[in-house]
Amino acid sequence: MLSALRSLAKSVLLRREVGLLLLIALLTLVVSFVDQEFLRLENLRDILVRSAPTIIVACGVMLVVVTGEIDISVGSLMGLLAACMGILISSNEWAWPLWIGIPITLLAGTAIGCITGLLVTWGRVPSIIATLGLLTAFRGATTLLMQGENIDALPNALGEAAKYGFAGLPLGIWVALTVVGATAVLIHRTPLGRHLFAVGSSAYSAKMVGLPRNRIKLFAFAYVGFLTALATIVDVPRLPKIEAGIGNGFELLVVTCVVVGGVSITGGRGTLTGVVLAVILLTMMRPMLTFLDVGEAGEKWTKAIQGAFIILAVVMDSWFARRPTKQRASAVRVG
Amino acid sequence: MSQHSPSPIQAYLHELILFVLLIALFGLAGGLMPNFLSVRSQLILSKHLWEIAILAIAMTPIIITGGIDLSVGSAMGLCAVTFGSSYEFTQSVLLSSILCVSIGTLGGAINGWLITWLRVHPLIITLATYAGFRGIAEGISQGASYSQFGDGFGQLALGSLWQIPFPAFVFGLLAIAFAIGLAKTPTGRFIYAIGHNETAATFSGIRVDRIKFWLYTLSGTLAGLATLVYVSRFDSAKADTGTGIELEVITAVVIGGTSIFGGRGNILGTCLGLLLIHETKSFVGRYFRIDELKLILVGALLIGSLLAQRLFFRHTDE
Repeated sequence: MLSALRSLAKSVLLRREVGLLLLIALLTLVVSFVDQEFLRLENLRDILVRSAPTIIVACGVMLVVVTGEIDISVGSLMGLLAACMGILISSNEWAWPLWIGIPITLLAGTAIGCITGLLVTWGRVPSIIATLGLLTAFRGATTLLMQGENIDALPNALGEAAKYGFAGLPLGIWVALTVVGATAVLIHRTPLGRHLFAVGSSAYSAKMVGLPRNRIKLFAFAYVGFLTALATIVDVPRLPKIEAGIGNGFELLVVTCVVVGGVSITGGRGTLTGVVLAVILLTMMRPMLTFLDVGEAGEKWTKAIQGAFIILAVVMDSWFARRPTKQRASAVRVG
Repeated sequence: MSQHSPSPIQAYLHELILFVLLIALFGLAGGLMPNFLSVRSQLILSKHLWEIAILAIAMTPIIITGGIDLSVGSAMGLCAVTFGSSYEFTQSVLLSSILCVSIGTLGGAINGWLITWLRVHPLIITLATYAGFRGIAEGISQGASYSQFGDGFGQLALGSLWQIPFPAFVFGLLAIAFAIGLAKTPTGRFIYAIGHNETAATFSGIRVDRIKFWLYTLSGTLAGLATLVYVSRFDSAKADTGTGIELEVITAVVIGGTSIFGGRGNILGTCLGLLLIHETKSFVGRYFRIDELKLILVGALLIGSLLAQRLFFRHTDE
């Protein structure tokens, strides 16, 4: 009985989600001791709004990583889509109505995701190289589209929705909730969701039981493209204008969140809850440093903290969660 | 498996394709802009090449082992800040340079140590140090920019001997040393063995961890050297030095025919890849005068080279 309890406690405590949740709680507690303002509703809502685009895109990138591939082009794709959307709907540019501009942006994102997927599956280009190439190309295409100028005068409705939204919650939070819900249903309640994990945990077995590997991976990449477009639409209008630098570095932030959230980079393992919690944890860092009143000097360290979190996650993994693999690895070393 | 060894043409097919592409590019560029091919304009253009070239030399063996180093650009930022702040204290270029390269080496050693200790894919570890090094550089420098290191130091990147710029000598020596090391020494062959099958390499008694550790350490050292060239060229050291350079370096190495899964590649290919990207960028930049087109072309070149390789030479790959 006692040992059963202990193993239960162990398996609960060693779960990445629990660790992340405890860390978030602990940090929140510490910061709110220093400054109670941190717990104000507006501030918590602000953290959620900031994490919304990362959550939306991370849901897709997580699925790609689960299939054993990777996508590092989402940042510059976001920049490209922001430029496209801006040109379509800004009243200084083409001034198309929203109901045409938004679907076209979504379509463009999905189409580009499909192209990435086709390069990886049909073209058999390793995903890290394909998305690296696209990352470079998208950056060039974005600056070419923007012609060195910023795009402003976006329709007010979009900015209002992004900032204030419906029922007290900005649009980003609503969309993020929907995407997380839809992805959860996809993972847990549909065959496709299970197939994503199957392909990632053993490409060979998946092939042997007749799963259409390429189509499954293609779906994952297209989903990322679609979600990146969605994130662009809900997040970019919060800014006063669209600049060429939008999304720079976003791809590595997303991958960082996916890794800290406990998704195995070799595929087949990972939970949505872990990823969402990791996004919130990493997004919390900057507001936290602000409330700790470390000043501008301290806030410059956010990237260093981000790096430390990845190392921490990996160390936790290799110390606790993955004992068997570790033993195998050391057996190999002795041999 | 075929018993006979492949003919030289088969073995160097990729290098041959690169070479033909390069000749075609030179032909096109020479036809459209006759003075593009002059030694003078090539030397002027070559200024932009050396940091990437130096880093690519260290990246090649790392990718041959099946690893990757995403942190070189951030390491350059850290090295630049180290150089700048230590110059402010000591006013000595020599001392700051030594410190700069040492910090690079230390950063590389941290990568190597974490990768071999934690046994996690290098992509993850160097992603962490990618954020980490840049973060430390930003934290220490607080946005400060250091400059005015004296004319003598500027000569490091801009000076030349027999018309050949100094960084070219550094690059040439490194390239020759690495090419010989990879092709002719036992350690070099072990590096390929690790890339082909790490477990098998371990069981045949190769000290996989030790080799990996030193490769990443060396990559850090060269990041320090590349920083010196960069800082000397611009006479400015900031925390954002080298942002995004890791992607250009990896692009050059992969276009050069090194397999991202390890086991295949060589320094000659990397040099050709570097040259092809560099000349494409220079030509497009000068002829069309649209800088953005460069990025699109480099991306297309990267994907296109692999796509062609995979689709047309399917059999040679498996």
